[in-house]
Formats: sequence, C-alpha cells, structure tokens
Amino acid sequence: MSLDFQLEPECSPDADHDQGARLYFQVMSKSRKPQKPATSGSPERIPADPARPELIRAERLQVGYGNKAVCGEIAFSLRQGEALALVGPNGAGKSTVLKTVVGQQEAISGQTRVNGEEADDRSLAFRREVAMVFDDDAFFPALTVQEHLAIVAAGHGATDVEAMIDAELDFFGLSAQRPSLPHNLSSGQRRRMLLAAAFVRPRSLLVLDEPEQRLDTAMRAKLATRLRAEVDGGLGLLLVTHDPAFLSTVATRAIFVADEVRRMTPTQAALAIASENPHAG
Amino acid sequence: MTSHPAESERTLLSAREIRRYTFKVGLARSEGGIGELISEAYTYVFAAIVLVVMSGAIVLGLRHSLGLGSTPVWSASALSPGFQSLAPLQASATLMLTLAAALLNVQLNLGPIAMTVPQTFWWLGLPVRRRGFISPGFLRSMIWPVAGGIAVVVPLSLGIGSQSSPGLVALATLCGAALALFLYGTAGWVQITGRGRWLGTLAAAVTLVAPLSLVGTALYNNVSGTRVDMSWLLYLPTSWPLLVANGALWPLLLVAVALAVLVLVYANLERVSSASLRASAVASAYVAGSVLSMDASELSKSLSSGTRSGTSWIRLPLVFRSGSQTRRSVLTMLSAHLTMQLRQPTRLIRVLVLAAIPASLASVQFLGNATLIAVVLYFCAHFAVTGLGAVARFAAGNPSVDALMPLPAKLVRQVHYVLPAAGMTLWMILCFVLLHVLGVGSWTLIILALLAGPGLGGATLRAAFRPTPDWNMPAVSTAMGPVPTGAIRSFLVGPDLTLIALLPTLICLISGGVPLLAYPVQLGLSLIGFGWGCRLRKPKRSKGAGGGIQLAAGGR
Repeated sequence: MSLDFQLEPECSPDADHDQGARLYFQVMSKSRKPQKPATSGSPERIPADPARPELIRAERLQVGYGNKAVCGEIAFSLRQGEALALVGPNGAGKSTVLKTVVGQQEAISGQTRVNGEEADDRSLAFRREVAMVFDDDAFFPALTVQEHLAIVAAGHGATDVEAMIDAELDFFGLSAQRPSLPHNLSSGQRRRMLLAAAFVRPRSLLVLDEPEQRLDTAMRAKLATRLRAEVDGGLGLLLVTHDPAFLSTVATRAIFVADEVRRMTPTQAALAIASENPHAG
Repeated sequence: MTSHPAESERTLLSAREIRRYTFKVGLARSEGGIGELISEAYTYVFAAIVLVVMSGAIVLGLRHSLGLGSTPVWSASALSPGFQSLAPLQASATLMLTLAAALLNVQLNLGPIAMTVPQTFWWLGLPVRRRGFISPGFLRSMIWPVAGGIAVVVPLSLGIGSQSSPGLVALATLCGAALALFLYGTAGWVQITGRGRWLGTLAAAVTLVAPLSLVGTALYNNVSGTRVDMSWLLYLPTSWPLLVANGALWPLLLVAVALAVLVLVYANLERVSSASLRASAVASAYVAGSVLSMDASELSKSLSSGTRSGTSWIRLPLVFRSGSQTRRSVLTMLSAHLTMQLRQPTRLIRVLVLAAIPASLASVQFLGNATLIAVVLYFCAHFAVTGLGAVARFAAGNPSVDALMPLPAKLVRQVHYVLPAAGMTLWMILCFVLLHVLGVGSWTLIILALLAGPGLGGATLRAAFRPTPDWNMPAVSTAMGPVPTGAIRSFLVGPDLTLIALLPTLICLISGGVPLLAYPVQLGLSLIGFGWGCRLRKPKRSKGAGGGIQLAAGGR
C-alpha cells in the first residue's frame, strides 16, 4: 500500500457553508420554540431498542481523580443507532466520564464494557471500532493536513485513501489547506482536521468531546446534520456538548452530569443548556 | 455499523510502515543545516572563550602580585592545610547513589517506554500492534543510561580502583552499564504495571539528601576530630561497580539481573496503557521545553514529578491600605511574589542544596581545587538563578498579569528584581560561608560574594524575560525531528549575565586573594547586571509589515 499522494487543486467550501448556515438557523429556531416540559422518564425521540447490539454498558460508574469523585454515580447503555449526549455545567465531570468510559482514565469504581468487553484501548478490536476526538491539539509539525489524515486512513486499512481524504477535506472545508502544515492553520481549522481524522476511518462507535468547539456556526450545523444521518445509519455516538442546537439535532438521549446525575430527553437537556447559557450556540 | 466499503479487502499497514512514513515525510521538509546552528551560537561561544582567556590572564597576574607561589592554579588545593578531606571512595559511592536515584526518578517520570505527544495522538488509535511503535524507541533510548553509566564509572574506576587493571575497569564499566539498565528496566516495569510509584518519591529525596551528606560528614569530621564510618555506602547496589573496580567479582550478578528485567519489560511492551504513554509524552515535551529554555528550575521540576496539585497553607497579606497607591501596588506585588516562591518549598530546597554543592565538592580529597570549585560554582549559581526566577518567568509568559497593576512597566520589572536579588545575595553568602568553613577563601571573599548577589538578581530577570525564539528561522533535520535554529540564540540569554556578574568573585576565588580594586569592579558589574536585567525589550519590527509593530513569534 502506498502513502504517496498527488496534490489536488483547491476548491471553495463556500456553498457548503451557506447551506450549513441555513440548516443551523433552522435548528436554532426549532430548539427555541416553546416546548412542553417533559417529565423525567418520558418517551425519548428514539427509544432504546433492545434488539440493537449494545455498544457501551456503564454500571455504577464513579469517576474522578485519585479517590475524589467529580460527579454522581452514573449508569447507562448505548446501542447502535443511538446518540447519547452528556450535558452539564463546566467542571461537572462530563469529559472525565467520557475518558473513563473509553478506558483513557481509571474509574474510581464501577465498570464499563464496550462491545461486551472491558473498555481497554490496548485491544485491537477496540481501536478498530471506536473513534474518538477529545480536546487535543497535537500534530506532527512537519506533516501536512493531508499527510496526517493519510496516517489514520491508511493505518485503518482504507483501500482508497486519497478519495476518502478528498471527501473529508471537502466536507470540513479544508481542501485549500490540504498541503498546509498545522502551524499555518487557524485554531478552528485545526479542530476541523481533528474531526476529519475521526471520519476517514471506519467506526461503529464515535466519542466526541464538545465537537462544536471552535467551529463556526455553519460548520456546526453541517456536522450535526451529518452525525444525525450516521446515527440513523447505525452509528453509536457518545458526546459531550454545550450547544443546545447541536444537541437537539444529534442526540437521541441525554444525561445531565452533576453531583446528582439525571436522565433527560434531548429537548430537556437542550433547554437546560440554554437556560444556563442563553448565548450558547 | 458505519464501515467503509470493501472492508474485507483492506490491508492494514504495519506500525513500522507508519512510523517510517511519518519520519520520512517530516525529515524531507526540514530546511536548515548544522551550520545554521553553529552560526547562531558562535558569537556567544566566541565571547565566552575571550572572557575565559582574559580571566585566566587576570588570575595569573593576581597570583603573581599576591606572591602565592608557583603552583599552577588548576592543581593547587584551596583547602586549609590541616583539613581532613573525605576519602574519594566515600565521595564516589555518594555520587553513584545520587546519580542512580536521579536516573530512576527521571525514568519514572518520563517513562522509558516513550512516544511524542503527536505520536500518541495519531498513532495509538490505529488498529496495529503498538509494539512496532514503541519498541524501537525503547531499545534506542537504552543508549542513554548505558552511556551515562559508562561515563560515570570509567573515571571513578580509574580514580579509586586500587588494582585498576584494564580488565577490572572494563568489568566495572560493564557493571555500571548493567546498573543503569537495571534502573531503566525497573522504571519500565513500573510504567507497564502502574505499581511502585513510591520509588519516585524515594529517589527524589535521595537526590536532595545524598549530596549534602558529603559536606555534612566533612564538617562533622573536622569539628569533632573523629571520622564517621561511611563504608556501608559501598555495599549499596549503586556502589557495586566500584567494588568490581577494587577486585570483587560477585557484584557482576547485576548484569544477569538487569538482562532479566529488560527481557521481562520487552516481552510486556504491548501491555503499556495509552494513558501512561500520553503522560510520559507530555512529561517529555515539558522536559524538552525546559531544556530549550535552559531553565534549571523547570527542568528539575519536569524531570521529577512535575507540578503538584493541592492547597498550600502559605497565606500572606495581599491587600495593603496605608501609603500611596504606588506603594500599595508594589507591596501587593512583592507579597504575591513571595507567596508564589514559598508555595514551592521543594524548589527552594533545591536552590539551597545547590549552595552546598561547591562545598561538597571541595570536601573530597583531590577535588578541593579552586578552579574546579569556581566552574562548579558558576553552574550552581546559574541553576539557582533560574530556580529563583520562576515568578519572573511566569510573568514573562503571562504579561497580562503584570498589566493588572497600575504601575509603569519599568517599575514592575524592578519589583520583579527584588526577591531574586535578595535571594541570590543570601545564596552567595551561604555558599561562600560553607566554603570558608572548609578553608576555601576568606571573609573578604565573602564580602565580595555578597556584592555579586544583586548582579545575579539581574541575571535572573534576563533569563526569565529572554526574547521569544524566532521560530520562523529554518529548522535543522535531526533523527528526533526538526530543531529550529532560532531557539539557540534564546538558549544562551541568561547564562551570559550570570558569568559577567560572577566574574570578579570567581577570579578572586581562583587566584586566592581579594585586591581592593575587586570591590568597585564587582559593584560596578552588579549595577550593570541590575540595569541589564531590568531593561525592557522593545518589540521587534516585522520586515515588510508596513511600519506596523509585530512580535517576532509567528503563527496564529
């Protein structure tokens, strides 16, 4: 397999952005319509379907640093075709839950199973199925955008690496930045590149920590719409978000993480976020 | 399941192929050459050579005028004639113990099984066996402990071995390399299993206490007139290479033990967790940054256990109600600086230990040579300078904090000068009083050292507020990746003023006398140090920026 590429001419992502902006406006309008408050335990938009394979099962999970828990005990399951959003104020422990669930951090107590096995990213099967994007900002300084993505695509055994990278660069509006080195990208462009890396590889479970971070409004809407489509196609999505519109579009279920962990519908969660931060989004 | 088409036909790349691709592409894009590095540094190196030659000439002239005999300065003992020095064997055993503890502490923090931060992010998620990513680095990095073990054991074996035949020296060197590899392997096993972190705390304590034991023992021996028996030090495993140099062969058992530990670690490389690899990658990046900034305090912190979290009981008043606004602001700043310093007691202890190192060296038989003491004193002073410059360095990295104060920038810089200058003055007094107790120098030299302290305070600020490296300069390709030549110039800012501020004191230490002229010269250089350290740099004008002023560092 070769990792050499021809550089493609740049293309403008403006049209996609315009379309995305319109979508985002629609989503925002929808989320701010007065809604009847849902009670805890009310039907969710897509109820958990026991027939679908279970991707994550977290039981009596206590997360934190040392022996100090950062939030209440949490338990949930995530099946194929579901998107579970963790919401809550800053410092509530959402990202810690996320990292613990995917085995990047040790739990204080409790257990997490991914695809029926104990969450352990040393396992090849785990790495093959689970894609994740956290708030990292690490790059090889001498490798271009395209070369970074090539490592991921080829490393996961993609047959047509170049086409796959082209498609993702196009989607994330980075076609013009294909030959750019990371230090020549803006913070938002670097974020897009990290997200693109999660899409140039196969995945059955996607874990995203505040994917809306540093993205412009149009890109957020575009990403939300795509994630929603992938979830409908069977992807399992676990994400942390502070954006009510993003959450409303993507999530099928939500959990409010705080000292007391509560299950919510996406609408309840979006309202909870919006009430905490009226300028969110 | 969202999978790409033709998944069954996919052929995974091996870790080796991915690793090679990453390095090949990275190296192909480097632009500079080794000549760039040399040209960056040459003015500083040239200036240092001129300074040393001039100082040598002054020392010889002074010794001649003071009538201090014809013994060459580089071999004459600076100790008082009746001083009972420590045996080289005890000093060697203490040195081995300190270095072994330091090596273990560093390896436990950085992890012998290491990757860079980008590698952990872009490689660890790939469904390929990670042994292929980490084993080359693991095997390659064994070179460093082995080289360190050889570099330490060979001179010690030649120096202390009573029957130092070439064969015994070779065997002692083998034992030294095995000791280093055993520590390396032990740290690797701790990294894989996550158990035994307490070894790091123990090793850190030993590195602080062991050097002090030399000067402590020497002082006790000379005051009490007896000799403390420290022969037990030789039976610690860290001293076994010294026993081999003296003819014992049983310590070579260490070679087999080291090999067994390494094989065990190598066989379990795949077990190392991503979290551990990420932590060691972040720690290594911190070390690289500290080395590049030539910051001893940060380097020491990064090589040990890094930043500690938690609360401190140190609470100093930060709000002052009497006096003018300027006075109140200055007092607030000073109080804040003092609070920051006191909340890092380990750093302050390290600075104090550095003051005792020249005396520890001088207390060892054959090492009480003034030139050697002066060289070691310079490095210790520079490390202490950077240790006390932590607050100023924080301010340099976070200029908005200083901007909160309603004070002119020049005054803010002068306030930053106060604590390092006071600290370095006390440091110099402590250092030279300890040396004087051993018979090195005189009270007049202590007074001269006291005058050098304020100059070193200036060096603290110069090192802390050094200009940002010019990252736009071409990079030099190395096996570890591109190294920016622009960083080299920045690397040398700080040590230069330490040398200038210390020069009269060091010259008088080596020459063995203090002429009256030395005082005004030292005072003048300390004043220059103050002025230089408190100078505010003007932002560089960017070429072709249409007259606009931009900072030299680029990037968005």
